[in-house]
Amino acid sequence: MKLLLSLVLIFFAFAGAQTNISKYEKAMKKNLTKINETNDVTSMLNIANSFERIAFAEKDKWLPYYYTSFMYVLAGFADTTAEKTDSYLDKADLFINIADSLQESDSEIYTLKGMIAQARMQVDPMNRWMKYGAESTKNFNTAMKLDTLNPRPEYLKGIGLYYTPKQFGGGPKTAKPLFEKSLEKYNQFQPENDLMPDWGRDIVEQLLEQINKDLIDENLKPGE
Amino acid sequence: MQLVFTIIIFSFLSITISGQTKVSGKVVDSNDQPLPGANVFIKDSYDGISSAEDGSFLFTTEEEGEAILVVSFVGYKTKEENIFLKSEDINIKFVLEEEAKELGSVVISAGSFEASDERKGVILRPLDVVTTGSDADIYSALETLPGTQQIGETEGLFVRGGSSAETVTIIDEMVVQKPFYTSVPDIPSRGRFSPFLFKGIVFSTGGYSAKYGQALSSALVLNTEDLADQTLTAINLMILGLGGAHVQRWANSSFAIEGAYYNLSPYFNFIDQRPEWDTAPVGIEGSTNYRLKTSKTGILKAFGSISYGDFALYTENLDDLSKKDFTRVKSDNYYSNINYKEILGDDWTLFAGASFSLDQDRFELNTDKINQDEILNQARVNVSKQIFKSSFITFGGEVQNAIYKNNLNGMQLDLNELFLAGFLEADIFFTNDFAARLGVRGERSKVLDKYNIAPRISLAYRLGTYDQINFAYGRFYQTPFKDFLFQTTDFDFENASHYILNYQYISDERTFRIELYYKDYNKLAKGTVFTYPYLNLPPVPFNNDGSGYAKGIDIFWRDRETFELGDYWLSYSYLDTKRDFINYPTLATPTFAATHTFSAVIKHWVPAITTSFGLTYTFASGRPYYNPNNPEFLGDRAKTYNNLSLNASYLLTILDNFTVIFFSIDNVFGFNNIYSYNYSTDGAVRRPVLPTADRAVFLGMFISVGQKSPF
Repeated sequence: MKLLLSLVLIFFAFAGAQTNISKYEKAMKKNLTKINETNDVTSMLNIANSFERIAFAEKDKWLPYYYTSFMYVLAGFADTTAEKTDSYLDKADLFINIADSLQESDSEIYTLKGMIAQARMQVDPMNRWMKYGAESTKNFNTAMKLDTLNPRPEYLKGIGLYYTPKQFGGGPKTAKPLFEKSLEKYNQFQPENDLMPDWGRDIVEQLLEQINKDLIDENLKPGE
Repeated sequence: MQLVFTIIIFSFLSITISGQTKVSGKVVDSNDQPLPGANVFIKDSYDGISSAEDGSFLFTTEEEGEAILVVSFVGYKTKEENIFLKSEDINIKFVLEEEAKELGSVVISAGSFEASDERKGVILRPLDVVTTGSDADIYSALETLPGTQQIGETEGLFVRGGSSAETVTIIDEMVVQKPFYTSVPDIPSRGRFSPFLFKGIVFSTGGYSAKYGQALSSALVLNTEDLADQTLTAINLMILGLGGAHVQRWANSSFAIEGAYYNLSPYFNFIDQRPEWDTAPVGIEGSTNYRLKTSKTGILKAFGSISYGDFALYTENLDDLSKKDFTRVKSDNYYSNINYKEILGDDWTLFAGASFSLDQDRFELNTDKINQDEILNQARVNVSKQIFKSSFITFGGEVQNAIYKNNLNGMQLDLNELFLAGFLEADIFFTNDFAARLGVRGERSKVLDKYNIAPRISLAYRLGTYDQINFAYGRFYQTPFKDFLFQTTDFDFENASHYILNYQYISDERTFRIELYYKDYNKLAKGTVFTYPYLNLPPVPFNNDGSGYAKGIDIFWRDRETFELGDYWLSYSYLDTKRDFINYPTLATPTFAATHTFSAVIKHWVPAITTSFGLTYTFASGRPYYNPNNPEFLGDRAKTYNNLSLNASYLLTILDNFTVIFFSIDNVFGFNNIYSYNYSTDGAVRRPVLPTADRAVFLGMFISVGQKSPF
């Protein structure tokens, strides 16, 4: 009897934990699928809000904080007014720092930190490149060191270079090797589980295509 | 056994099989305007939703019993509400309060212009200072803001009818004794400190904080950069000289060293100069700084600079045209500053700093030899404490010991001043829309054996999201210039009262500001001293009987929105001022006051050629000059002043090194500007005071070694 009771209790405790895990996974997955379907600021912020709700309920998990921050960065890139962009990025900073405190020295977290700096620079490149250009490069380099298999730091660093004028050592030609390396890593990349960051591959492929076109155009230009 | 099992099963079911509760409501701000996008959720659950366009929300939850409903939104205080969930629908209206200090709270700003990268809603960015005007000088950039005068014949900021001696320069909370290189009459010098040193600039054209004193008109408060962003080596090649710098960044500290050599003689061969130079200016300067992050919130900064300069020239002697006067100036300047800032627990912030400066000038005027030594030691402590949510008080004190030594052909004059000051200031945010800064400052001068108490008040009231009105009143004291004190120390402080009323509209991309002011001068020092703005008049006795007033309107407009890659600002100042001071026989508009001043700055970035262009136009109506033949004292006006300067920065990479090529030319159209006139003592001979050249040209190449790309 006693044995049975404790067995039952253990079973329920286990079942309870299991329902909890699946609830977390279910909620996370639901949000993750939504990310791919969004391209306007309002729905990005709505997804950020729902990741934030998970983050507040699951205080010791870093991924919900990471994705909340990620959504605010995307909103920051998508928004066009400086004042709002900065306020979104302030939020992104807040959440990535919490993620950083829960999961120390994670390559994905440093990648996102670099991306936040990129978004900040984009607001006012003339005035901000000195500070945020250095900051994003620093974070991408750290991210590469922390996980040599992570394809995202190369991809984002490549984007930065791609949009940098050729006169400053940017442009498609310089960016290409980074994208190629990133794609190579994407081909090997296997996220630890379904919830881990696994984004960017499509864009790298698209951009590589675009770069190849750019380079052909450039070669066709007379005098080049 | 079966019973137990059943109970367990049932208790389990009671947890899992639960009713759904509908939670709905609306989120609004304090003006009952809907807030879309707020996060509404049940604490420690995943249940929740973002509020819709009309602020409404509706979601269902399977949670039961006591719960907390939370609403959070960027820029607003998070609100929580206890609810009880039991399948009955819940409807709640949330009124969110704006978070103070976030976007759109009132800012205490009467009388001041701020340049910062970190704060929002500022008028300038530090980079604007470098790319405005033609010479990357902080002071010439600030001269495009309203309230300042266009004075070509000497350096310094002349603010709202005040002379340049009425503006104090503060670096990291400490007074700078000599912000400019030494100059001689009618030939202006440059500011000694590079604009690249500073991350924040507050230029107050009146009504400034009780933290500072000893300036009747204006305070320029400069805050140096924190840790350097990155390790960098730079080489600078200019037509005026060459320089280099190295910055090393470690995890929690950074170190920088910089040096330059200037020699203007090749340039003078290339651009015709009006003065007859014996020795074209040559100079060597070096500076170093160290930054240490002592904790998450603490920083220690140390800065030191040293410079040497030499020049000599001949000037016409108007009293005897067969003669020429010879002047040589050799200067040594040394400046150092160390300070520490830390946020202590319980919302206390501590700042402590000390600085030392030594400035030595050796003048040769024909056969006379004059040596001037100035030493300034100072220390300061500021303590601030947050009270309530967003208000805070700051108090502190400073002590300055100044030692002046004047030696004329072996005859020595000494002056030793011990100056003490203490202040208390409270920034109180009564509501999000109404704030006040109340301050009081007390000063004591040993050399005058006098003290003063100066109240300062600044009020700000927000009218809407973007606009606010401000009012400021303050009393300002200043010890008479040292040249007076060498003659007699029987002086009192000079004083001025400021009254300022201001309206401003600051949106993301546009700024409009209009400011009315009245300034009442009293106890201005009188007597004959031979420094600017000395006039060749009969001697007058030394006393404190001078007085004066200044009133006017300053208007500023900046627009970053209309042109996609461009930006422009316009400034206009109207000034009505009269004063009786130094050796003036009566109340008159001084030589450094133009009634109308206008300037326009346009910047445009052309991505195709990665070049940024800047254009600065300034206009000033003619200023009074002293004509001994006119019975009306200062009754003559010089002609109007016009200047159009152009600069271009071309950004490129040379052999993997990021490089900026900077070119500027001032007075592009060659306007014939006459600043003033000089007369011989008998009034028979007159000469115009002209710029040293028709045009000034600058070309420089700044290379960041090994830094590929700026982006």
